[in-house]
Amino acid sequence: MDLSLTREQQELIKSVQEMANRDIKPFALKGSSKYKEKMLLAMARMNLLCPTVPQEYGGLGLDLFSTALVVEELAAASPGMAAIVAATLHAAEPILLAGTEQQKSEFLPLLTGAHGGSAAFALTESAGGSDLNNIASYAEAVPDGYLLNGSKDYMINAGMARFISVVAAIDNRGKKSSLRIFLVPGSAAGIVTEEIYQTSGINLTSVGRVKFDDVHIMDQQVVKSREAGSGYLLLTQTFDVGRALVGALAVGIARAALEQALDFADNRLQSGTPIKKHQAVAFTLADMATDIEMARLMTWKACWLIDQGGDYSVASAMAKLASSSMAQRVTCSAADILGARGYLHGTLIEQLVRDARVLSTIEGTNHIQRLLISSQL
Amino acid sequence: MSFRDIGIKIQSAREEKGLSQEQLARLIGCSQSALSNYEKGKRRLYLSQLEKMAEILDKPLEYFVETLGHNQHPPVVPDRNQSFVEIMNQLNRLTDEDISEVMNYVRYLEWKRSGRA
Ligand SMILES: Cc1cc2nc3c(=O)[nH]c(=O)nc-3n(C[C@H](O)[C@H](O)[C@H](O)COP(=O)(O)OP(=O)(O)OC[C@H]3O[C@@H](n4cnc5c(N)ncnc54)[C@H](O)[C@@H]3O)c2cc1C
Repeated sequence: MDLSLTREQQELIKSVQEMANRDIKPFALKGSSKYKEKMLLAMARMNLLCPTVPQEYGGLGLDLFSTALVVEELAAASPGMAAIVAATLHAAEPILLAGTEQQKSEFLPLLTGAHGGSAAFALTESAGGSDLNNIASYAEAVPDGYLLNGSKDYMINAGMARFISVVAAIDNRGKKSSLRIFLVPGSAAGIVTEEIYQTSGINLTSVGRVKFDDVHIMDQQVVKSREAGSGYLLLTQTFDVGRALVGALAVGIARAALEQALDFADNRLQSGTPIKKHQAVAFTLADMATDIEMARLMTWKACWLIDQGGDYSVASAMAKLASSSMAQRVTCSAADILGARGYLHGTLIEQLVRDARVLSTIEGTNHIQRLLISSQL
Repeated sequence: MSFRDIGIKIQSAREEKGLSQEQLARLIGCSQSALSNYEKGKRRLYLSQLEKMAEILDKPLEYFVETLGHNQHPPVVPDRNQSFVEIMNQLNRLTDEDISEVMNYVRYLEWKRSGRA
């Protein structure tokens, strides 16, 4: 594994950074929908809403390693915007992995170009979060496809997704082999956004509960419709990819916190010297930087393995576990360095602490990551 | 459903087909140690790999994904906690009538074990 970035990757980082500093960062804390639209547009103009979509479907065709570089930059500017992209990447992944040509050409272009939008991945239900045996959403076979019924909770990009990749069972409720991934256009009749939550962090992201009420789905909108067992396997695989990207999200959030803490420590005078000259603060900053580098390398390794088609299940679970815990530590350390200012509502550092909180819950809680890792030791 | 369950199914299907680990590994294009890890449940298998394996072993994909019935288990020490969770999940789906039948059967098993059979 070569850790040096290619020229293209360096240029990609630079251009995303320039856009993020100009069009996202200055507005990230404002949190109104007016700014959100502008930020989304700026990202869409650079074709960043789902960078893994191949070029023939209008995307950038980036590998996961380069995509992680993009997600880190976006997260450093606005974790909420990065979460929108991460959810979109997750929703597109089953199509990229196992979709038919028709599914690819129908759904992937919806996420690309200046007019591209986001997508959502709908697995969690009120009774079934970590437990895949408890998926109650059910798609009943009808002559020309399925009728989907159920309710999905805590879905990122609720009410704004161009399409939703919905996990539901087609028969024998409770059997893993009956799970399938349904590609449901966001405008389909019968989709009701029941509630958009006020979340503690990743503001600007629309997280909500969505009901599917007799939503009619054609057979060709189901990924691997005829193959019993495929949905469960695809689900686990998309999570393994998604987890590596949570690593990148975590690194971006932590980096933003470190940058704030460094800037403050350089300028804040106590006992006549900048606080960075106090060893306790300097060492904390050193630990934070080391922690971030460790998480970044683990994330890169997981992404690299995914791109190589290697054995990445453990690596991505470890990257997610280590990076999310790291981001929670680093943001709290940064808040400590900022002293009282780190406790004020509406400040960047207070926001980053709350943003980092979600990382141990999404894409499988950190307990579940430990289960996955330990079962493969 | 754990990787171990999938691994057990792979091992059973491989043995049913009369293939050694080396032979199957060669057919699916992985090393014997990788296959051994899949069978031991120490590695996750993805859809495309399992599709290939299912084709070679003449089994539907579903066979590998569904939870094991007791007659499919090779002699491994069962994880009792996991079994309890599975039983609870299954019971949850039964009617009251079914549950009282299950209770009768449990009482019968206890009676049999107590040596009165
Ligand atoms: C901001 C946000 C965005 C989200 N976005 C999405 C989305 O886009 N799509 C989507 O489908 N879901 C989404 N989720 C849901 C998220 O994936 C779930 O919250 C998560 O999987 C946990 O499920 P749960 O909340 O039901 O908790 P539970 O599964 O009920 O878990 C509760 C606690 O028990 C622990 N636990 C559960 N089972 C075990 C076990 N077997 N062993 C050890 N510990 C266990 C968990 O780790 C946790 O600490 C989002 C959640 C949030 C907060």
